[in-house]
Amino acid sequence: MKILTPIKAYDELEMLAENGAEEFYCGITPREWLERYTGAFWLNRRSPKGGGLESFAELRQVVDGAHARGIPVFITLNAPHYTTEQMSYVMRLARTLDEEIGVDALIVADINLLIQLSEAKLRAQIHISSLAAALNVEAVRFLLNFGPSRIVLPRSVTIPEIETIVTAVRDEVEIEVFMLNDGCAFEEGFCSTTHHHSVGAFCTSLSGMEAEFEGNRGQSLTFRQTVRLKRNLTHYREYVWYLNGNGCGATAKGLPYGPCGLCAIPDFYRIGVASLKIVGRESGALKKLASLKMVHDIVTRTREGVPKLHVIERSRALRQTPEHCDAGFMCYYKV
Amino acid sequence: MEWSIHAADASDIRARLSPEEIRHSESDSKLTPALALVARLIEEYFGQLEFSRCAYGTEFCENLIPKPAAVQAVLWAAAEYGLPLTFLTPYVSDEGIEALKPVFDLLNRSAVDGGMECEVVFNDWGVLSLLRREFPDLIPVQGRLLNKSLRDPRITGVYPETSTSLGPQTALVNLRRSNLDSSSYIGFISSMGVRKIELDSLPQGIDLSQIDERVAVGVYLPFGFTATSRSCLAAGLHYPKRDKFQPGAPCHHECQTHLVEYTYTNSPFENRDQKFYLKGNTYFFAHSEAMLRSLFEQARQGRLRRLIFQRRLPMWE
Repeated sequence: MKILTPIKAYDELEMLAENGAEEFYCGITPREWLERYTGAFWLNRRSPKGGGLESFAELRQVVDGAHARGIPVFITLNAPHYTTEQMSYVMRLARTLDEEIGVDALIVADINLLIQLSEAKLRAQIHISSLAAALNVEAVRFLLNFGPSRIVLPRSVTIPEIETIVTAVRDEVEIEVFMLNDGCAFEEGFCSTTHHHSVGAFCTSLSGMEAEFEGNRGQSLTFRQTVRLKRNLTHYREYVWYLNGNGCGATAKGLPYGPCGLCAIPDFYRIGVASLKIVGRESGALKKLASLKMVHDIVTRTREGVPKLHVIERSRALRQTPEHCDAGFMCYYKV
Repeated sequence: MEWSIHAADASDIRARLSPEEIRHSESDSKLTPALALVARLIEEYFGQLEFSRCAYGTEFCENLIPKPAAVQAVLWAAAEYGLPLTFLTPYVSDEGIEALKPVFDLLNRSAVDGGMECEVVFNDWGVLSLLRREFPDLIPVQGRLLNKSLRDPRITGVYPETSTSLGPQTALVNLRRSNLDSSSYIGFISSMGVRKIELDSLPQGIDLSQIDERVAVGVYLPFGFTATSRSCLAAGLHYPKRDKFQPGAPCHHECQTHLVEYTYTNSPFENRDQKFYLKGNTYFFAHSEAMLRSLFEQARQGRLRRLIFQRRLPMWE
């Protein structure tokens, strides 16, 4: 079970490698894509501004530096889909990343791109993104047709569901799960919205909209129903606040808030999950470091055989914000 | 081109709908303006709706997958009207896969024994895999959730007016398309036995002319979906706060009592009257007049095979 860490600059590499990063993932949006499509059509799932490496030269530095430390580097080409016009560009990019840069894997969501890559027989492996929405064993088996070495499960898959999937395909493909930061209110593979900076995330945008309730088929709601619905909506907005890192906040010690799966690590280790994903390519170096140190602490204890209950207590102690742990909304997984 | 009616239950099936009946659909009053608009345009373009197919089921929530008894009732009712059935399915967990199996078994027997063709719309690759392996007599149709076009009326409906500032024309051209213009993708799904696909009309406009002719296109109206989730706002209604909004949590169909209308009053653009409708776990938007006219014009030009009419937000038990 490896710790997968985001990276967006060569300057971050040594710091992250020295503090427990065992796999890296990153993104890049070449200038010609940006000039042609601006921010209207993202090449991958992070904004072209600030979510990726700045140049192929820097990406090469990251890859070479990581490889010198025995750490693989994966790169995201995980837009939900590409049109035919875009696909030819993306395939050329994939070949460049594979042949000239030497990335270890491409993280892909578009079925058509998976088709193309499975036929291209690149050296780089294929990781199927959570945006492919592999929510069940049948879907995972379907995706195996494209020859991936790893499938990333969506955030919404629960621990029992993960165990069912891993058990079913243990000998055929690695399974990666989300571990820390950046939740999503929706099923990401079926979210048709944009995070364009002019409008922001749809989930937080909703929190600022006027909302009115109406009974089914035009029927009136009772006073009690209305009160309950409004209270529920308030709770939901609080839930969205937690999904977005408690309003993009951090503890007094600089630990990031946000969806957290630390308490589930013993279960993932037992189940045989291959990789734990720390989210946040766009985040600052200190947030990445703090996130990595938390996950590394818990993974180390788990590998050493510390009992699950003690690992959970350690996870809560690391955060030192029991009120947020107890709120129930900051957990990626219910343990 | 044919019309299909997405029925809530057996009693909802009918052979035709007049614009007047559409306007006065037994529906939530907040949807009345959207229905009035589509009724007016249907009258202008088509006169009235004559259905040659019936759709039943759910695209968005595995907790709303109908039981076999309800499906049987719909099959009988559809047969009385001579309407073949399209059964809609959502994205599913392993539990949802198991819930679908007895329904597929019923539909498969109906198709084999009754000689009535039955389509199954899949919005999950696992469902397609199941159909191909165990229910080969059911006709798979790719659902609109597997078409990943951007559908964000907060901004994509604004592009045509402000494209010079928000993105160049190349972006807009591509935002009106999807991977359905790719011969390799169409070849792949065709090899899986998929010859029909379903789409949403898009706020930024949809270019149906680029879609590979090997597949027949169906489009839903008058509601498109924007986002959907396994963490349902409604299902948490009666839980203690800390147990709410969990994927796969027990559901008591709380969504059936109400809907939520959002108004985009915090828009940075001029579309501050843009509405979103939340029913259960899914957010919808209503088609604008421009979207409907574009769709109907493309229908007249023969660019699509089917229009699927939904009288209400398609989230019913």
